[in-house]
Amino acid sequence: MIQPIDDADSIDPSADQDPEELLPARMINELVYCPRLFYLMHVEGQFAESIDTIGGTILHRRVDNGTGGLAPAEPCATQSFIPSSDEEPVVAAPEPTKPKKRPKSKHLQPATLFGDDENTEPGNDQTDPDNTMPDAETESDDDTNDPPRTIHARTIHARTIHARTIHARSVTLSSESLGVIAKLDLAEASGNVVTPVDYKRGRPKRMADGTLAAWDPERVQIALQVLVLRDNGYQSDEGVLYFNETRQRVRVPVDDELLALTRSSIAAARRHRESGQIPPPLISSPKCPRCSLVGICLPEETRRLATAGQPIPQVRPLVTARDERRPAYFSTQGMWIGKQGDLLQAKVEGKVVQEIRMNDINQINLFGNIQLSTQTIQTALGRDVPIGYFTQKGYFYGVSGGLGVKNILVRRQQFRLADDREFCLDIARALVHGKIRNQRTLLMRNHREPDATSLRDLKRYANRALKAESLASLLGIEGIAARVYFGDFAGMLKVDCGVSTGGEGFATAEKQPAFQFRSRNRRPPRDPVNAMLSLAYSLLTKDCLVAATMVGLDPHLGFYHQVKPGKPALALDLMEPFRPLIAESVVLSAINTKMVTPDHFICAGKSVVMSDTGRKHFLLAYEKRMDSLVTHPLFDYRVSYRRLLEIQTRLLARRLSGEIEDYPVFQTR
Amino acid sequence: MRRIYLITYDVCDAKRLRQIFKCLRGWGDHLQYSVFECQLTDADLLRCKAQMADILHHGEDQALVIDLGPAASRSETLVQAIGKPYSAMAAPCFVV
Repeated sequence: MIQPIDDADSIDPSADQDPEELLPARMINELVYCPRLFYLMHVEGQFAESIDTIGGTILHRRVDNGTGGLAPAEPCATQSFIPSSDEEPVVAAPEPTKPKKRPKSKHLQPATLFGDDENTEPGNDQTDPDNTMPDAETESDDDTNDPPRTIHARTIHARTIHARTIHARSVTLSSESLGVIAKLDLAEASGNVVTPVDYKRGRPKRMADGTLAAWDPERVQIALQVLVLRDNGYQSDEGVLYFNETRQRVRVPVDDELLALTRSSIAAARRHRESGQIPPPLISSPKCPRCSLVGICLPEETRRLATAGQPIPQVRPLVTARDERRPAYFSTQGMWIGKQGDLLQAKVEGKVVQEIRMNDINQINLFGNIQLSTQTIQTALGRDVPIGYFTQKGYFYGVSGGLGVKNILVRRQQFRLADDREFCLDIARALVHGKIRNQRTLLMRNHREPDATSLRDLKRYANRALKAESLASLLGIEGIAARVYFGDFAGMLKVDCGVSTGGEGFATAEKQPAFQFRSRNRRPPRDPVNAMLSLAYSLLTKDCLVAATMVGLDPHLGFYHQVKPGKPALALDLMEPFRPLIAESVVLSAINTKMVTPDHFICAGKSVVMSDTGRKHFLLAYEKRMDSLVTHPLFDYRVSYRRLLEIQTRLLARRLSGEIEDYPVFQTR
Repeated sequence: MRRIYLITYDVCDAKRLRQIFKCLRGWGDHLQYSVFECQLTDADLLRCKAQMADILHHGEDQALVIDLGPAASRSETLVQAIGKPYSAMAAPCFVV
């Protein structure tokens, strides 16, 4: 059973109040599981959801509803009650959930579904845990703190303690001396003896002899809870892990060995936090596949690139090939988009023209004058769905994101290294080299009769880019290569040029070939192919910008492209090698498969724009390309181009943090 | 990977009926009264079931979740309609 982050929501915001001092007990759990996971989550503040974390959240719904109150320890104890985050008075705390809401208690949740109902939980079947708070006083009054009584209490466990056990849910306690803050899912108090119960969603570990046991991360977390309880004046010797799937309880006695492990883990956590160095990934660990942060951590990819000498033989495809959600594009002028429940409703003149489920989309893109309600924006940002803004013609304004910066450390590193000329030149060389190589590959694959001179030249320029002395000379090399490449670009258009489609398109009017291309021009584009190229670059910039933001990088500070107000320089950097592979290739396939025809263009003076229908067709072609799978040459697994952009950006972040030596620019073979 | 689920429900109370209908509209296509077709990942299914479990009265109502297999390799004959046509659409993005 591997469950790295099964109760992720229990990271209490109050735990962050004093990051210098208090480590959340949950994070120590992660540290024992994998130090790198601890670093990513606690130091860099990154998080991702997986089926395990979602299951954990669902399991903790009720536990986290608790009052957070626990009767104060015996008066003789020095430390006093530490209020929970909601600061509710302890003793008279009424159970808030049951009376107010729709009576959930009659909705018994069967064990087969999400049963976290304590009625069937072993050990407290006679008590109504919600009414026990006032008992706390009387219980602790007649219960003087002598150890023998605890033992006695256990012997009569079955008869009396059930009726006397006090339950408190979601108790947050901290210990200054340990520097740890812990949130107890459930505290079972019997007199001054408190047993923390931690809810886990899976099943317990089973030893060879069939007895139940717990994994180290969970044991350490329990030990921390016990220690924190002790520090607050309670008596506590053991904790309990409650496994929801099998509804079994596993007792975790806190012995010296566990205490030693716990203390060394706390020390290690401090060390990692202060070092600012990300711990190396686990080696071919069985823990990685189920870890929710595996797409951020990229354990095997990082190891392959970091250990250039003896690369690991096979990179396991731990990242899912595709995002299951799809982008949404809205381009009907005057459209109004609102939200009803979990549905986006696109309305034109008050009539709903399309409903899209929020659960199904990973981007919202607006072309031109389209209104988005505040509720929609809030929901989108809350779910990390970015909103892209374009003009009606497709010029890219920018993106709204949530709070953004998840990983400030990498951003700091980005700013430091952007001032390092050698570093910038290094990255820039690789990018330009990759771009020219990819241009060449595209020509070889798609040109009717590729010109040997052009191919040879492109190869030469690509190699020359690797040895460029300055950013200025790189710019020159890129320019020459682009001229050669675009000079041959028309040869990749395979539409039968002589056929007139009879529309009012730009080209047919003069009985010219349907699509022809002489050279790249823009602002405004003067022929259909250039119009499509511009739109494709615009879309690709958006996707690179989203990728950069997602990873935590600043999209406006690039290494090759220089800083200019409003220019997403880093997005443009990232995009260079992908221009031929995604943007230009989409234009070619849109033309060659006749998804876009000359009818789809409108001539306005010298400039050419796409019609609304044409744009819709082109967006489909673009997304089809982004969704198509490509084999990564270094890792030998197949991922979609959209996922690939993310992976490449994360690798750039690794390069910035110094974990890998070279940024591997993506090149197709 | 997404799988196709047919989710049907029988709810005794008008208020819960509306709630469950609204909840499922967020997860799938409304095919008929009390029948939804949902293409869900494992995580989606978990969330969807949890939402339904919160709404349904566990003593009186029932919802059935029927797994119809992976969405990627769905066959043309998976659902056959008699009467009004039925079609499943798949596009790489939503364009409106």
